[in-house]
Amino acid sequence: MTDRLLPRLLQAPAVVLLLIWMFVPLSMTLFFSFIRYVLNSLRHPEWTYPSLENWRGFGNYEYVLYKSKDFWFAVQNSIFIVGSVIFFTVVLGLAIAVLINRPFLGRGIARVLLISPFFVMPSVNAVLWINMILDPVLGLNGLAVEGLNKIVISLHDYPIIGSFFSLWPEIEPISFRATQTSAYAVIIMVTWQWTPFAILIFMTSLQSEDQQQKEAAILDGANAWSQFRNLTLPHLARPIAIVVMIQAIFHLSLYAEIEIVSRGNGNKNLPYLIGEFSSNNIGAASATGIFAVILANIVAIFLLRLVGKNLAD
Amino acid sequence: MDIIAQKVSFGRFIRPIAGWLVALIFFFPIFWMLFTSFKTDADAVKPEYLFFFSPTLENYFQMTENYDYWRFAKNSIITSTFATVFALFVGVPSAYAMAFTPGRRTKDILIWMLSTKMLPAAAVLYPMTFLTKNVLGVFDTHFLVILVLSLINLPIVIWMLFTYFKEIPKEIIEAGKMDGVSVWGEIKDIVLPLAWGGLVSTALLCFIFCWNEAYWTVRLTTTDAATFSKLIEGNRAPEGLFFGRLSAVSTAAVGPIVVLGWFCQKQLVQGLTFGAVK
Repeated sequence: MTDRLLPRLLQAPAVVLLLIWMFVPLSMTLFFSFIRYVLNSLRHPEWTYPSLENWRGFGNYEYVLYKSKDFWFAVQNSIFIVGSVIFFTVVLGLAIAVLINRPFLGRGIARVLLISPFFVMPSVNAVLWINMILDPVLGLNGLAVEGLNKIVISLHDYPIIGSFFSLWPEIEPISFRATQTSAYAVIIMVTWQWTPFAILIFMTSLQSEDQQQKEAAILDGANAWSQFRNLTLPHLARPIAIVVMIQAIFHLSLYAEIEIVSRGNGNKNLPYLIGEFSSNNIGAASATGIFAVILANIVAIFLLRLVGKNLAD
Repeated sequence: MDIIAQKVSFGRFIRPIAGWLVALIFFFPIFWMLFTSFKTDADAVKPEYLFFFSPTLENYFQMTENYDYWRFAKNSIITSTFATVFALFVGVPSAYAMAFTPGRRTKDILIWMLSTKMLPAAAVLYPMTFLTKNVLGVFDTHFLVILVLSLINLPIVIWMLFTYFKEIPKEIIEAGKMDGVSVWGEIKDIVLPLAWGGLVSTALLCFIFCWNEAYWTVRLTTTDAATFSKLIEGNRAPEGLFFGRLSAVSTAAVGPIVVLGWFCQKQLVQGLTFGAVK
């Protein structure tokens, strides 16, 4: 065997498998997005199976863009959820990484506790949060508000402060099961899960920060904030970019959390909308899928460029 | 002096307190799940038993009866294990070739492999259902779940192995070649022993990702190959009636993986950032 052939043969299985995995389903999606394909069409039985004769051109795309209100809502909501999660995880991740970057008593154990949420299954994460923590009646959310109300009421009997507290209204716990609030619930649980990821990456990167530069800054009288702003933050620019993009790609295809928290209450993102379309209108589902691919690709290009640059180093 | 004095007090008192506080807050939901798993379903929703109750293991003993726990456990273990084995089986030769005999295209291939990971799964939901149900007839089989899980994680596996293999000095391989060692012998006797640690952590991480996968394992199974993700998803809204037993089964589903995760924090950074953060 020649020197060239062998490496190729060794790579071949992985490359071929990934090629099939990538192109076969995706080209089917592309094809379905250009035809009329409706699983439960009673009036047009010919539309219930995929065929070139049902060619619709860009009809499905037009339908998705202009006629279905859900599409724009789903796009907006996807971006809202992804953007919020990224914002909170990066801010919290930075703060916590800087906080625990220096040794303190029991830091190892604290780190292990901090990182744990990342390994919790998404479906357990969602079921745990929405039922046991955020539920307005039986969850800790409801119990805490109820307890607070009870305390306020019990204070009514006291002189002076009682008349003050009797002016307080009874608080209603927020329900996280409505359309908008369930998006907040998703943001809370995904932020909880992914902040540890941001912490881990920022901490890894902080370890390689130039300590001499830092000491010089301290001697020059730079305060903690200006050290962070002028030294640490520029050092972390690249890890931040990576955390942002990796999360963007992962959370654009967020599914389990939306399915568990929001089923049937109108809150949806693109993958969820595709799931809804897929039970009947395959043409529309496929067109939406192509839009989702385009959206993910916009982010992916930037990320791949950054990763590729590193590969050249 | 002033600044240093301030720093000392921050380092000594505030940092540990704040650090521990943050850690406990983040761990609290997991703790709460574990805590609730020792309450009966009735006690779990009574505010008077919020912190003080008589703990019971009943929820764990009845997991099989309530949720058919072992069927899902068996499926999760089988699919995650074999998917990991298969991903390594395909990934090791590929990463080996790319690390030790890189060509002009190697970098492009690596990047392309990553890009397959970035396709939104939902975009191919119907084609996958259609192919597996109507064409290939493998819907809801272990075979399908194993194949899909290993393909999803193959890019990460190859990337991680590639970075580990890269650290092995080329001279060692070349010396092996001089001695007339075959390619298989090279992989088996030189590369794998030297990159053993990397191989193990790659496998662990791949296993964790397989275990936690929650899209295809839910959409491409019904009963026969359904994993824990499917089990929990199916019990999404217990309306407070079953907090105790649901906590127990959730704890049993995520517990082993969280513990496993503690051991590969470092590799997680490499695996998820594709070596771009060091």
